[in-house]
Amino acid sequence: MASLSATSLSFKAPSIQSTRISQSISFGRFQSSKSLRLQISCAAKPETVQKVSDIVKEQLALSADTALTAESKFSALGADSLDTVEIVMALEEKFNISVEEADAQNITTIQEAADLIEDLVQKKPAA
Amino acid sequence: MRISVMSQMQRSFSIDLPSLIPLQLPSRRHVPHPTFWLIGFEAYLLSQTEKDGVDQMRGDELKKNALLARTLVRTTVARYQTNKEVDPRSLMFKKNVYGKPEVDWQNCKNCNHQPLHFNISHTDSLIACGVTVHVPVGIDVEDKERKIKHDVLAFAKRFYSADEVNFLATIPDPEAQRKEFIKLWTLKEAYVKALGKGFSAAPFNTFTIQSIPGTEEGYSLCKTSEVTADPLEETKKCNGEWKFAPLELADSHYAAVCIEDDQANEGAPMRVIVRKTIPFVEDQLISERIFL
Repeated sequence: MASLSATSLSFKAPSIQSTRISQSISFGRFQSSKSLRLQISCAAKPETVQKVSDIVKEQLALSADTALTAESKFSALGADSLDTVEIVMALEEKFNISVEEADAQNITTIQEAADLIEDLVQKKPAA
Repeated sequence: MRISVMSQMQRSFSIDLPSLIPLQLPSRRHVPHPTFWLIGFEAYLLSQTEKDGVDQMRGDELKKNALLARTLVRTTVARYQTNKEVDPRSLMFKKNVYGKPEVDWQNCKNCNHQPLHFNISHTDSLIACGVTVHVPVGIDVEDKERKIKHDVLAFAKRFYSADEVNFLATIPDPEAQRKEFIKLWTLKEAYVKALGKGFSAAPFNTFTIQSIPGTEEGYSLCKTSEVTADPLEETKKCNGEWKFAPLELADSHYAAVCIEDDQANEGAPMRVIVRKTIPFVEDQLISERIFL
C-alpha cells in the first residue's frame, strides 16, 4: 500500500525500504540544500552503520559513550569541512572504495554514508 | 574588507559601550561574563530558524559556538551598513541556489539594499566573519595545531592538485609540512566558499593555489585542466580574478580570505582590516594591511 502526499512517499508494508527527505543546515561551510530530493533505498546493514559510527567518533574525537544514531548529522557533531573529508578518506580506506566529489558532498549523516558505502561496494567488479 | 574575530574570553569585566557600536542595548549595567550574557541574548537576537539550528547541535559547547557564530554574523553585518544603522535583529538571511548563506536585503524591513557580502568560519575556539562590499568573499580558519589523522602527503595526493602535492613533498620537516598543508587548506576552502557554488563546483584537485614568486604572502589561483593525455602536462590557467589574504589570528589560527576581484577594482590591492570583537561589548583593531 502506498500513499502519495506532496512531500513524501511512504510504504506501509513492513519492508526494509526506507524513505528519506533530507536537508542540512550548516553555519560554517555551507552545504547544498537538497530540498525535496526523494530517496527510496534499502537501508544499510547495521554493521555498516556501526563501522561508520566508529570512524566518525574517532575522527571527531567523540567520547566512547556518545550516542550516535544513523540519523546523526556530521555538522551537528561539530564536523567541519576538513573533518568530513577525513571521514570520507577513512571510509574509502576501510571499505576499499572510491567516493566521487559530488557524492562526498551529499553525505551529511551516518546513514547516508553507510548507504553510499554499500552502494559502492556492491558496484565493485568482482575481484 | 573587514574581519571580525571572536575568541572565547574567560574573564569578566564591566564595560562602557564603545562609541563605534551604534546599537541600543537593553541594559548598560555591569556585565558578569560575556559568554553568559550573549547566551541570554539568544532569544532577543536570533531568528527561529537560527535557534532551531543551535538546538540541533549536539552538546553544550557546540550549541554555544553556534549561537556565538550567529550573533557575530548579525552584529557584524549590522555594523557595516553604509548609510544607516540597522538593528541586527531585523536582518534576514537566505541561501543561494547552491546553499551559501547570504543576507536577504529585500525582506529586511528597515534595511536599504546594501552591496554587502559576508562569510563565516569557525573552529572550537575562534569564529571569524568577513564582510566585503560589492564582491563575494570566502573565509576559512583552522587551528594551527590541528592534527591530520592521515598521512599529509597521502591526503594531499587524494584531494589536492598535482602541483600542490609537489610543493608539499619538497618540505622535509613533517611539522612544517603539516602547517603548509593546513595553510593551503584554508586558502582552497576560502576560494570554494567565495565562489559560492559548493564543493563539487570546484573540486580541490582542479585548481592550484600557489605563492607568487617574489612575494611573501601573495597567492594566485591556477586552474588545472585535463585536456592533455599526459597527466604530467596539465595545462594551467592562472588568473588574477581571485585575491587571497593569508592571515594568522590570535597566534593560534591560520586563516585565509578570498575575494573576487570585480571589474571596478581590477588589479587594485586588497585592504584587509582585522578586528577582535565581543559583540556589544568590546572591539579591538588588530591589524590593517594591504595584500597585493
